[in-house]
Amino acid sequence: MLHLFKYRFLQVIRKKSDMFWALAFPLILATLFYFSFGNAGLAASGDSDWEAVNVAVVTKDTSSENAQAFWTFLKQLDKDTINIKQSSASKAVKALENDTVQGIYYIQKNPSLTVKKNGVNESILTSLLNSYNQNSAMIQDIAATHPEKLPAALKSLSDYKPLIKEESLGGTTLDPNVQYFFALIAFACLSGVYLGVRSSFDAQANLSPLGARRSITPTHKFTLILIDMLVLCCIHFFNILVLNFYIIKILGISLGNHITLLLLVDFMGSMIGVCLGLAFGCLSKLSVGIKMGISVGITLFPAFLAGLMFGNMKNIIELHCPIINRINPAAVLSDAFYCMGVYHDAARFYRCIITLAIMSIFMLCIAFFGVRRERYDSI
Amino acid sequence: MIHIENLVKRYGDLTALDHLNLDIKQGEIFGLLGPNGSGKTTVIGCLLALLKYDKGTITIFGKEMHPDSYEIKKEIGVVMQNVAVFEQMTVWENIDYFCGLYVKDKTKRKKLTEEAIAFAGLEDYKKMRPKKLSGGLLRRLNIACGIVHKPKLIIMDEPTVAVDPQSRNRILEGIAELNRQGSTIIYTSHYMEEVEQICSRIAIIDHGRVLASGTTEELKKMIKTGETITMEAVALSQKALADIRNLPHVFAISYENQILKLRLTSAKHNLIRILNYMQEHDITFGRVFSELPTLNDVFLEITGKELRN
Repeated sequence: MLHLFKYRFLQVIRKKSDMFWALAFPLILATLFYFSFGNAGLAASGDSDWEAVNVAVVTKDTSSENAQAFWTFLKQLDKDTINIKQSSASKAVKALENDTVQGIYYIQKNPSLTVKKNGVNESILTSLLNSYNQNSAMIQDIAATHPEKLPAALKSLSDYKPLIKEESLGGTTLDPNVQYFFALIAFACLSGVYLGVRSSFDAQANLSPLGARRSITPTHKFTLILIDMLVLCCIHFFNILVLNFYIIKILGISLGNHITLLLLVDFMGSMIGVCLGLAFGCLSKLSVGIKMGISVGITLFPAFLAGLMFGNMKNIIELHCPIINRINPAAVLSDAFYCMGVYHDAARFYRCIITLAIMSIFMLCIAFFGVRRERYDSI
Repeated sequence: MIHIENLVKRYGDLTALDHLNLDIKQGEIFGLLGPNGSGKTTVIGCLLALLKYDKGTITIFGKEMHPDSYEIKKEIGVVMQNVAVFEQMTVWENIDYFCGLYVKDKTKRKKLTEEAIAFAGLEDYKKMRPKKLSGGLLRRLNIACGIVHKPKLIIMDEPTVAVDPQSRNRILEGIAELNRQGSTIIYTSHYMEEVEQICSRIAIIDHGRVLASGTTEELKKMIKTGETITMEAVALSQKALADIRNLPHVFAISYENQILKLRLTSAKHNLIRILNYMQEHDITFGRVFSELPTLNDVFLEITGKELRN
């Protein structure tokens, strides 16, 4: 058995085209993802970039307390929430027309705002003014009684950054971009389908002369398939480890701190990919070309449902047809990654692992029964 | 050793094997001779339980053959028509791998692999991968992979297709040697010379039926042709052709492209009679050949068509 394992191993790793798709292609995708989505990872804060809104300030009257307080209020926000450009009324209007600024604040007894259109930035400027107006009495009171606390009060009024911080039960911040990398790893695991399908050709007399030669030997079909599966799992597991190493160490994206669990998910992912390929390859009587074509779909479609191309897809499915997420290997894999790296939900994690193990065994049985005692219509 | 009875295999409307019967005895080199598409490879496929068949029974070593007849498979070696080796492995690795599918013991396997390499004359190519080998060497590797475990029964399906004459001779000598070592061999081919050279018994098949079987001599005795005379002759008249046709023992005549071909029943002085006629009638002729009947003549008489195609 070791003898057969050794030679099958050599045969598979020397097949450069298969190894490219199984190893190099996911690495290329990971690189593309990195440049598309950034490199925040699980350790990131989750803050989004804040672009300060350009606004012109025209001083009409500084004699009133309210005008002074509003001016202080605006200065408090300068360079943070807004970018103030002091100017004359005419220049301010011109800047507004040219879209150099998104609004004009008029400093006067009753502060006012002029905007040209509706939009997010205009809404922010409006909200700032509304917020000031609603609290102007309180601000004037603080200015009068505790002037030293005025900056802090103004700061609290002007904080428009998210009041709700998204945090998982596991205490790790959830970055939506990491979801893509989890889905990518799930996709890479499912790429084992190609290895499995191609390997199945060597077990079927109607698909290759090698299949015919191996079919007429006294070595049991189950032994041949089991050896193929073990060899491919080992090779594909190594491929996935390389991908993980690349994502974590080269691209610098954190996938969590649980290396042992990560290895477990990687191994189960490799196994389900290979077994799925073996089952599909052995079960159907389609030609080699058609099988390889369908393999692309078998790899990409579950990965799509798991959110590789559209991050929210898995959540949409969870809402409308959760059973698909339970039986889609890519979704189960992705879920296992989340449980490991984000939720720290051990029960759900092991449920995913057991699901993958059951699926793999089921696929392996399908592969075996697909070729056992098989006689073909033609070879 | 092998008994095939009333074997019927259909591909849709096409009947590939039509109530085919065969008996192959231990120690024979049994030739299955027939043109392309006659059903030779289909017989092999059914025999090895790779193909479904519609009717009939196949027994090997007295047992019915099934896809999971692993005990029978242990004793069979197969050399497929298409080369079946791993491109990614060297000559040694391929032979050793296929040996490992039959033989578990490492020492025995190594010895058998070395013997198979020597048998196929691949000593200088052990570390080469198949794509670096010539067509003839590749065929020899294919044979070595099929016979490495020294099986009792060897099935060779057209092993010399697209092989150079040197490799072909080596392969044919090797097959005879395997037979001397005790293996029973089934050899399919559409090359009658090969079959005639090495087979102790032959079955001629066409359209999935056994048309005739026996030793070469037995098959030749079955037909009317005792001698074939071929002669280059310039401008033979219709009268001359009719006269020649009426000479004793001539039963078939053809004249095309200034080549006269006569089929005669077995008799003494056939050639002298023809030459005398040509001299008496001042007919110019060139080279003359006289041939004893071949398997092609057998095939021609039985089916009305040439075996060569």
